[in-house]
Amino acid sequence: METNTVSKRSVSFGLSLAIASIVNAIIVCVKEKNETVMNGMKKLTGHHWITHTVIVLAVFALFGVIFSRMNGGQGRKITIGWLVRTVIGGVAVAGLIIVGFYLFAD
Amino acid sequence: MNEIILMSHILFGVLCMVAAVWLFVDVLHANAGNLARIRKLSWGAAAAMWLAFLVGGYFYVTAYKADKAIILAEKNKPWHFAHELVMETKEHLVIILLLLATYLPIVAANNLAASKDARKLMLWLTVTIAVLALVMDGEGALIAMGVKMGLLAK
Repeated sequence: METNTVSKRSVSFGLSLAIASIVNAIIVCVKEKNETVMNGMKKLTGHHWITHTVIVLAVFALFGVIFSRMNGGQGRKITIGWLVRTVIGGVAVAGLIIVGFYLFAD
Repeated sequence: MNEIILMSHILFGVLCMVAAVWLFVDVLHANAGNLARIRKLSWGAAAAMWLAFLVGGYFYVTAYKADKAIILAEKNKPWHFAHELVMETKEHLVIILLLLATYLPIVAANNLAASKDARKLMLWLTVTIAVLALVMDGEGALIAMGVKMGLLAK
């Protein structure tokens, strides 16, 4: 029988993916414009890119877990249209910020 | 050794891209018979992406400095964009691709044969992964060309 549902993990980690993508783009702008942040990120793991990756992956995991525990463990409730728009929109906006930053602002 | 690392980085990246295209077609025809294959392939695509990421990341952190110096040499000015724009965007866009590939098995765990919503999400996801992986592949080629032009300009 045809149904119209996705698991709470799909919703939670989808929303989390959009947030982590935007965080990824924001870190790019901040670390490239602020030498203190860049040096701090280098000190933390030995390379700014490793620190950057660890932060983004941590945000993805953390928000995924938080969203899935909302509503008494039932997770966030949104329609599939909103979920797709949020995931793809988040990825597209993050991509545009990163490309735009290196094209015009760096 | 660096050559093997770089070639395996490309190989795993292309494997992820091919798997995403395969998944797109399989999900279009999702039924009880191909659900297990879709789930295994989703894990395979995610594993390929993680390997591509780790191998490429290792090269970037340990060996890319020499390539960067060649690209940014004064005589190679027209190709400086290969690092300043292409490599800089690639090293950060690839983190998004890693997230998307990691999300793939989570969505594939849904009953794709029965849920139209899950199929819709999966189709968007696989298309995005395939397109982004293709962009990464093209950017990699431009960086390699930047190094080649830098060596020729010496």
